[in-house]
Amino acid sequence: MRHFDVCVIGGGLLGCFAARNLRRWHCSVLLVEAREDVCTGISRANSAIVYPGYDHKPGTVKAEMTVWSNAAFSRLCEELDVPFSRCGSLMLSYGPNADAVLRRKYAHGLENGVPDLRLISGREACQLEPAVAPGVSSALFAPSAGTVNTWELCIAAYENALQNGAESVLSAEVQNIVPLSGGYRLETSAGSYTCSAVINCAGICAHSIQALAFPCPVTVVPNAGDYLVLDPNASGVPSHIIQAEPEDAGKGLTAVPTVEGSLLLGPSERDNTTDYATAAEGLDFVRRYASRVFPQLSIGDTIRSFAALRPNPQRPDGSSIRSFVIEQPAPNFWSLIGVKTPGMTCADALGAHVAAQAASFLQAEANAAFSPRRAGITRAKLLSPAQRRRLVEQDPDYGEVLCRCEDITRAEVLEAVRRGAVTLDGLKHRLGTGMGACQGARCRQKLTALLARELDLTEEQVTCSGGDSAVYGGFHGTL
Amino acid sequence: MEHCKLLIIGAGAAGMSAAHSAWEHGIRDILLVDSRACPGGILPQCSHRGFGKALFGEEKTGPEYAAFLSSQLTESGVPFLPETDVLSVSPDRTALLSSRGGLRETGFEHLILATGCRERSIGELPVCGSRPAGIFTAGQIQEQLNLRQRRPSGRILILGSGDLGLIMAGQLHDAGCDVVAVVEQSGRCGGLSRNYHRFLEPTGIPLMLRTTVTEVCGQGRLTGVKLRQLDTGKTINLDCNILITAVGLVPDQALIRRLGRPEWLHLAGNCHHVHELVDSAVQEARSVGAAIA
Repeated sequence: MRHFDVCVIGGGLLGCFAARNLRRWHCSVLLVEAREDVCTGISRANSAIVYPGYDHKPGTVKAEMTVWSNAAFSRLCEELDVPFSRCGSLMLSYGPNADAVLRRKYAHGLENGVPDLRLISGREACQLEPAVAPGVSSALFAPSAGTVNTWELCIAAYENALQNGAESVLSAEVQNIVPLSGGYRLETSAGSYTCSAVINCAGICAHSIQALAFPCPVTVVPNAGDYLVLDPNASGVPSHIIQAEPEDAGKGLTAVPTVEGSLLLGPSERDNTTDYATAAEGLDFVRRYASRVFPQLSIGDTIRSFAALRPNPQRPDGSSIRSFVIEQPAPNFWSLIGVKTPGMTCADALGAHVAAQAASFLQAEANAAFSPRRAGITRAKLLSPAQRRRLVEQDPDYGEVLCRCEDITRAEVLEAVRRGAVTLDGLKHRLGTGMGACQGARCRQKLTALLARELDLTEEQVTCSGGDSAVYGGFHGTL
Repeated sequence: MEHCKLLIIGAGAAGMSAAHSAWEHGIRDILLVDSRACPGGILPQCSHRGFGKALFGEEKTGPEYAAFLSSQLTESGVPFLPETDVLSVSPDRTALLSSRGGLRETGFEHLILATGCRERSIGELPVCGSRPAGIFTAGQIQEQLNLRQRRPSGRILILGSGDLGLIMAGQLHDAGCDVVAVVEQSGRCGGLSRNYHRFLEPTGIPLMLRTTVTEVCGQGRLTGVKLRQLDTGKTINLDCNILITAVGLVPDQALIRRLGRPEWLHLAGNCHHVHELVDSAVQEARSVGAAIA
């Protein structure tokens, strides 16, 4: 049975960043993921916002960590070669109640040290962002807010962890954790491992994972939010992140112009759900609200909808916990439980925090060979024609476009497979294939055939997202 | 940089016809490009008989129609560049072409866009629920059935009774598949009545009018859908393993979106507007080709 200094459970944002930061020390690391690929749980869907840090009460961990992480985000994305757009955010008020909320957030923001934060007039807000409906009474302008592709960020952290010597085991569901003297035995569906310490980043299941070895005083009660995605060619689209603060009780609306150029609208809020299915009332809410805030928005340019899950942490008495929960039931066991907004913003800082604690427990020395830098897949569409021409001369696969909507070549798809994509979703998460207007209708067959060839499968075995999701499941030859 | 008088993007029925017509009217310096290996566009996967009544006086299959246009093209000598994608078209009348052979910039005097149309996807519809495996557009299934000789099994539901929905219902039925229904939001069949009579009626597959899919169910794989009867508001749970969407075609103008309409740009066929008949796309394309000469 192989032994590791630390086993990280869960290959979402937190797990991948924990593994990355653990390798800043001399310790062996195994990332254990239940699914066939990383970034397949709650990390796969969120608002894609890098928050500025005015939403949290001064002095809290969330406030400090968010402001710090936001400031560090440009460097993080530069190190990991992930596109980041610091487009700024405008929180809009349309009346006295929301004005008061904005004033409170402004005061928090100042105290938290959010840079360049300004409370501006409705008129100035409408000048900054002509796409929004008139009648804005005040707005909170945070130039430091930004947006990043959560899939690329998560996968970049994962690749950086591996390239620094972390190992991973996929399709390995943790079934039991047995405390041993000086460590644990992890029994997974893909074999058992021993380790000296565990960092549990199992997202929606984090409390159940801890409960395998220790009592867990926190439970995760998920709720869901529905989102719409609009085609990059939609009109009436804002250039900043827009958050419309509701004048009355209820949920506001967020609009995010993503790094890919599409517009994200949402989320609604729904209780009592544990899957990623969208609900009609949630999508209706988003559609109606968006048309009110953005009167010229071509909502008919919607190309897809999705749901995200929020892992809300609760105490046994049912009361909710506002902070990130870092449980430490034993000196060598940490659980990150109920890390919701602004979890993506703080993922690297949270990973660094638990990694430092684990390293201290292990008395591990700093790893001078650690490199924080990771190179992304060379993207043909981002190159100049001259650069792209040279690339095709070196490798003809760069000349063959497979996904026409998003201009993605065969060479990029092959590289994504080399880096671990085993499903259509794996390709989508690494490259954005099938994210355009046709939603994969034109490239699905080609991508399936290529995955089958590269992974030595039949086309009928290739899946959309692992498990029983075979793309051509149940198809038979007619000859 | 190479240069031509007329660049035609897309070698489907419209692109081939425009090229041939321009050639007949004396233009020699033509370049026809397509991302596929062979000309024909979508025609080769349309194996049913139902094309060409107006032009040929008899009905041909899609492959026959494509073969006719393609032999006409070969005889004329219009240069055809296969497996080539046009990455961009610039206002200075150049296009960036990509193939495994390399990236090339081509200048032109006139451009005919003949890129056809794309199918609307389920993502554009107000359908909630999950997005499991087992949801296809009608064109995807047509490609699987007619070009890859592969058919789906299990219970199949078709959303949309346009021509493509009707044709696929008939072809899947003939291939031995279990098509449980065709559902249509409006009060009448969306496709041509001759397609209804030829493809749907003989199969006995029910056409459910004033009915639509509101929700998709299933985690990894599709297990069923929720249907709503629009007049009664009643919701019906229907078990199915395959959902085929035939919910409309959109002209594919992605390449020219930021160009406006300069006088050197011409649109032919389904990228201009969606034609009910190939014959009319061909006639339009022929006059576009002739007008440039």
